Amino acid sequence: MKFDLEIDGQTRKVDISPSATSGQWQMQIDGEPVEADACLLRPGVLSLLVHGQSHRVVLDADLANASANGDSADPALHLGAHRIEWRAEDPRSFRRRRRHAGTDGPITLKASMPGRVVRILVAKGDTVAAHQSVLVLEAMKMQNELKSPKEGRVIDLRVAPGDTVSSGQPLAIVE
Amino acid sequence: MRKVLIANRGEIALRLIRACRELGLPTVAVFSDADRAGLHVLAADEAFRLGPAPATESYLRGDLILDIARRTGADAIHPGYGFLSENAAFAESCEHAGIKFIGPPASAMRALGSKTRARQAADQAGMPRTPGSVHGLASLDEALTVAANIGYPVMLKAAAGGGGKGMRAITSPADLPSAFTSAQSEAERAFGSGEVYLEKLIERPRHIEIQILADEHGHCVYLGERECSVQRRHQKVIEEAPSAVVGPDLRQRMGEAAVRLALAAGYTNAGTIEFLVDPDQNFYFLEMNTRLQVEHPVTELVTGYDLVHLQIRIAQGAPLPFAQQDVHLRGHAIECRVYAEDPDNAFMPSPGRITRLLQPGGPGIREDCGIYEGWVVPMDYDPMLSKLIAFAPTRELAIARLLRALDEYVIGGIRTNLGLFRRILRDPDFQTARIDTGYLDRLLASGLSSRPEFSQSENGAEGSAVPIIATAAAAIFEATRPTPVTPTAPPANAWKSAARTEAVRDFNGKARS
Repeated sequence: MKFDLEIDGQTRKVDISPSATSGQWQMQIDGEPVEADACLLRPGVLSLLVHGQSHRVVLDADLANASANGDSADPALHLGAHRIEWRAEDPRSFRRRRRHAGTDGPITLKASMPGRVVRILVAKGDTVAAHQSVLVLEAMKMQNELKSPKEGRVIDLRVAPGDTVSSGQPLAIVE
Repeated sequence: MRKVLIANRGEIALRLIRACRELGLPTVAVFSDADRAGLHVLAADEAFRLGPAPATESYLRGDLILDIARRTGADAIHPGYGFLSENAAFAESCEHAGIKFIGPPASAMRALGSKTRARQAADQAGMPRTPGSVHGLASLDEALTVAANIGYPVMLKAAAGGGGKGMRAITSPADLPSAFTSAQSEAERAFGSGEVYLEKLIERPRHIEIQILADEHGHCVYLGERECSVQRRHQKVIEEAPSAVVGPDLRQRMGEAAVRLALAAGYTNAGTIEFLVDPDQNFYFLEMNTRLQVEHPVTELVTGYDLVHLQIRIAQGAPLPFAQQDVHLRGHAIECRVYAEDPDNAFMPSPGRITRLLQPGGPGIREDCGIYEGWVVPMDYDPMLSKLIAFAPTRELAIARLLRALDEYVIGGIRTNLGLFRRILRDPDFQTARIDTGYLDRLLASGLSSRPEFSQSENGAEGSAVPIIATAAAAIFEATRPTPVTPTAPPANAWKSAARTEAVRDFNGKARS
């Protein structure tokens, strides 16, 4: 099975196949052969042996549930002190999507965190500068200003003061 | 005392319930709509709903809490910290209702609650304090006169303040007028009182506080100090006991001053007197916290006393079971406040579902924690998740133990400041205790990320191997990823989903290619 893995901003070519022995994996990472012995201790917690070195790898969330929960974030794993996000560019992967979309056309301003809308600083139809504050979101006693992703006109406001929003929820559209 | 109502939530509610259970006291929990699934509800013997999520409609509703206490036959209330813990009016309502408030009497809270009144009390107790005013400033003219007398730089502070709100450092008379107006209005907004006062700014101070315990028979002891100099924007991040710069002589002088203040104010139960200590080891009274502190575990570990047990015994009217000469400090304890916030993104709060939780353990590790895997951290309260505390014979070993525990600790699904602690604990200035209240802000301003570099090795592997290990792990997760159900797919079929679950379980590579 071949795919590209974008790990912490760097793309690596992976060719992976399980060996006949249970738990043993053979792979090529950017052409370099790597053998790994993997054992899933419980969902999301992997014991990985590579050249005799023992590593604990912990998945942030179960991959199967991530989409069911509407979680749009990339999967992440914890390795020692590191938290590493990755993205697979695999024709079989449903996660394949456009990245680095341009700034042409309407852009949706999304909630950066779950919270409550405290104030809306613009009105529908207003023109806004890039990085101009659009609304104030509060969570955990902290207020944060969310800024316009680009210069343009506010063509839609999807929330009102007092609304509770979840992370990633569309708040406004700037064209 | 027959039954205790716990008027709090999160880790502290759980800590209090555990203490009550150890003492054979039944407990009543209260909860808001955001906390129905909270651990404190599960741990208590009884639990009752207060109201909607906002604290003003739930945990701050003293009337509802007293009502529940009456209905359930609870004859004592432990307020924990925050919420109603320093609310003298609530303590008074409890007194009137014949319910024991586990804390000081309302009169002592009033005498020490405002910073200006506490400064007057400090003067009466002969306790050193920073030069400056002991009353609220009536006008800008008065402020300018006071500042000129004590000499710049000065600090402008809100009398009702806390958490750095309404606080301004001023270096010259030209900056005073605008700071005076803005501090007044900020204090008015935050605390409902615009009273501000001036004090001399102490340069590079350390924050060192004394824990006291006073019974209702006139006995008061101090349980050593805690150093809380590692702060971000006046909020404590790491606390430890003892302080690396406090010797027996300074400890005794600070401790005796703290005891004098508490006795003079008619204080009972647990309390903390906060001081600033300058580089020449002069100490200045800052304020008194009339409650159990977040960081009380470090004192418990180095003294061997359970502060919550003692709070309850004092509230039951028992005399302190030991005297000052019985208090001995042993070893070193350090606490990390684990928050749901993202140090790499301006410390943005990060509420949400905890999808994965691996908790540390082993020798010398204590985790006071109110979370579990699957719990949704609500957005309505402060972001503290847990307190990770290490105890060891020396400060050096306590740091090593904390670093070891941090490597075992995984909180997935939300962002936390665990990485920040790794960075602080490895910093040479922290390791040699060259810290003051500006230390962490300077470290953060140095621009380095709290994310470790890949060059940092992981469990013996060369640093350069980390991306390869991560890639190998991600590749295995990808190769065993279950085929997603697209929204257009027909409704899930039990046979199919069972087979998929099996396929995921059969992780060891047999099922898929």
